[in-house]
Amino acid sequence: MTHPAALPCAILAVVLLAALSLFVGVTDIAPMDVLRGQADARQMQVLLASRVPRTLALVLAGAATAVAGLVMQMIVRNRFVEPSTTGTVESAGLGLLVVTVLAPGMPVMGKMLIASLFALAGTALFMRILRMVPLRDVLLVPLVGIMLGGVIGAVTTFFAYRFDLLASVGAWSMGDFSGVLRGRYELLWLAGALAVAAYAAADRLTLAAMGRDFTTNLGLNYRSTMVLGLIIVSLVSATVLVTVGVIPFLGLIVPNVVSLMIGDNMRRTVPWVAVMGTGFVLICDILGRTIRAPYEIPIATMLGVIGSAAFLFLLLRRRHHAAP
Amino acid sequence: MRMKLGAVLGGLCLAVAGSVSAQSITIPHRQGEVTLDSRPERVVVMDWANVDNLDALGVSILGVPGSNAPEYLSKFRSDDYLKLGSLQEPDVEGIAAADPDLVIVAARSRQSQPQLNRIAPTVDLSIDNDDFIDSVTANITELGEIFGKEDRAAEMNAELRSKVDRLHDAVQGKGRALTLVTSGGKIGVYGPESRTGWLHKEVGFPSVLDDVDDRSDRGDAASYEFILETNPDWIFVVDRDTAIAAEGGQAAAALLDNELVHQTTAWKEGHIVYLDPQKAYIVMNGYQAVSDLLDQVYEAVTADS
Amino acid sequence: MPRLDRPILVLAILAALALLSIAAFMTLGVRGNWPFVLEYRGRKVLGLMLVAWCVGVSTVLFQTVTGNRILTPSIMGFDALFVLIRTAVVFFFGFGVLATLPDQAQFGAEVLAMTGFAVLLFQWLFLRGQRSLHLMVLVGIVFGVLFRNLSAFMQRMLDPVEFQSLQDSFFASFGRIDPTLLGVSLLLVAGASLAAWRISHAFDVLILGREQAISLGVPYRRMVAAILCIIAVLVAVATALVGPVTFFGLLVVSLAHVLCGTGRHRYILPASVLLGIICLVGGQTLLERVFAFDTALSIIIEFLGGLIFIILLIRGAAR
Repeated sequence: MTHPAALPCAILAVVLLAALSLFVGVTDIAPMDVLRGQADARQMQVLLASRVPRTLALVLAGAATAVAGLVMQMIVRNRFVEPSTTGTVESAGLGLLVVTVLAPGMPVMGKMLIASLFALAGTALFMRILRMVPLRDVLLVPLVGIMLGGVIGAVTTFFAYRFDLLASVGAWSMGDFSGVLRGRYELLWLAGALAVAAYAAADRLTLAAMGRDFTTNLGLNYRSTMVLGLIIVSLVSATVLVTVGVIPFLGLIVPNVVSLMIGDNMRRTVPWVAVMGTGFVLICDILGRTIRAPYEIPIATMLGVIGSAAFLFLLLRRRHHAAP
Repeated sequence: MRMKLGAVLGGLCLAVAGSVSAQSITIPHRQGEVTLDSRPERVVVMDWANVDNLDALGVSILGVPGSNAPEYLSKFRSDDYLKLGSLQEPDVEGIAAADPDLVIVAARSRQSQPQLNRIAPTVDLSIDNDDFIDSVTANITELGEIFGKEDRAAEMNAELRSKVDRLHDAVQGKGRALTLVTSGGKIGVYGPESRTGWLHKEVGFPSVLDDVDDRSDRGDAASYEFILETNPDWIFVVDRDTAIAAEGGQAAAALLDNELVHQTTAWKEGHIVYLDPQKAYIVMNGYQAVSDLLDQVYEAVTADS
Repeated sequence: MPRLDRPILVLAILAALALLSIAAFMTLGVRGNWPFVLEYRGRKVLGLMLVAWCVGVSTVLFQTVTGNRILTPSIMGFDALFVLIRTAVVFFFGFGVLATLPDQAQFGAEVLAMTGFAVLLFQWLFLRGQRSLHLMVLVGIVFGVLFRNLSAFMQRMLDPVEFQSLQDSFFASFGRIDPTLLGVSLLLVAGASLAAWRISHAFDVLILGREQAISLGVPYRRMVAAILCIIAVLVAVATALVGPVTFFGLLVVSLAHVLCGTGRHRYILPASVLLGIICLVGGQTLLERVFAFDTALSIIIEFLGGLIFIILLIRGAAR
């Protein structure tokens, strides 16, 4: 159903959104002034120090989060999962809390790595539990993940309550790009690189998604492919969590929408997922910056409201089709 | 129903007390009023601001909350004081067993007033952020009357007022201020209606937000661009993350140390004041907390003149 | 015959354990004034038992009408709705109102709002044609996300004190059940339970599914609608009394199925309620004695509930 020009058009639309994002904010910057070189020094500084990094961060985080959701759905072989329904995000949050309590002064890279390790451990635990569960119902997978997330979240809440860090935990769990500045988002390039890695590994992941026996018959190393997928998901989750906070729902809804549009071949879907994830995040953040200017509404909230409404619409529109 | 019961009990007390009623003390508070037969001696306080007040008044306290004791009130961490649960969930049985003459709740513990009032006379001394200094001094006056420390209370209030006046004079012509709260690596803006609104409304620091409709802007997420554009002459920072650890604004300082904030007058002039987070965030409206915060701001404001 | 004996034995043991929990709760660590402590703890126990009753009965009935053992009212987004309603009150009127408004009025409004929503959602999801279980769970979860985000949207604008107080009120606080609410709650729950009792003969038929039930002469739609109203009232009362406890219903009902080894309502219903009492009253005893009020029971229930459910799944026993 997709036209050959559809993807280039979508990319163009996202580029336009990104351009728009450059010129939305508290400081007045007119695009024409910048192009004509008439912007004053302060406007240029705001542009370079705040707008460009923010837009880049949105692009990177949006694409990476959506792709991580897709990878998660591939390796778990289930349409209803994303890092926040598999205990991954909650584990990363627990890791971040542990660092905050034990070594508050640790540089952000260290925090990210520890959060990644926790995320990896949590996701591995989830995969291990899945192997032990008699999986007759596709719904048990997200349920187990949500349960696990709940358990890990309860541990986090317990310690946050004890150390009076509930507000901080609340701040992390709210994705928000207002703090992005030159020098404070660069970690997200790592997430972007991981999304590219997912694209490079797309064929292997697609095959792995068909199951262990099938993959092994084709001579692929099933296990290493799964580990690769898990590492991608964990690192992306932890990186995004540490830099901007949780971006909920994106990894669930974008791959599902793309799947409705063009099916499940990952090499074809990854670019679409990345582009739509980016576009979605850009729209939400631009709205979040404008609705109550000069203050901001965090992207997590915007995305949660818009994303869940959109998803409900999708679900109910398709109610006569069998759910995958 | 509770009210009725209280009234009946109150009436009963009066009837029984009869001639003694001349000595009885009636205390109005946020959720009604209570009547005591005599000066309370066994006092349980489930609010750090009022522990602060009573400590300054020199009133001895029987029991305090078991958590979040700020550093400057650390003596209340010792076993000499009963630990009676958390602010949100007072240890009701422990309080009953302590057999207090008076229980004081406020802010985070105010919801327990009806329940605790069934055990012992319980007053809610929550303050009103819109009328901050008057609220604080009214509390101190009331506590002074209850415990017969009127002179000390008057002295404390006079001191507070003189500090407010002194600061009020000192901030004239010092430019506009912005109050920020940092939490979890993110920045929020406190408007003139917030818990630090007294800096603007009572001390008289013009807020950078005056030209913005900000009635609901309490701890709002804002970007550094916002700080740059409003260009405050003074920035006051409440660092929630270190409010418990008592480290005093290091994390917040790191957050604000960036090229956009560097452009503001406040940064260039070194006018960024990290308010003592425990006093500004946990205690907020106790005598010593407010007095110290007033001093801290005064010292900062007068440092370069 | 031996198959009938097991549930009865289980019920007897559960009843004994529940009584033991209650006895421990009432008598352990009493300082001073016994009459006061007994009255105070008595009210608490009553509140906890009421909540156990509401959660147990509503979850079992919900699973009966929806024909599965995974969906529960709280998984369908009810706890999130509660948070949303309460946040909306604080957001629009300030925390002062929440504290000063007569408790009954606030409570009544919350119950009303939750009941209205529940009936609407159920009608729409379960009575308008057949929908797959997948769809219902997803829609429920998505509704939860929507409610949570709307709440977050409002909380974002709250003063930290109000945020903190609000946050505190979201920890299901079994220690702070207002005695004045108990009367209202008891009345509501008694009414709903009486209504449930009058149609209880149909429960075991309903679980066979829509077609079976209709062919056996049960007025399916009317029956389901009635049960949905009952569930809504029970859930609203429980949630408004103690706040959201997501996995509690799932926990007790799953355990009840495992222990009883039968799906018959005459065993599952009392077993779920008894398990609920054991969890809440026993849990509260632990909370007060071991953690000394420092941690909310709901955190522990979320932790244990999730953990036990995963273990049940691993054993393949939860179905």
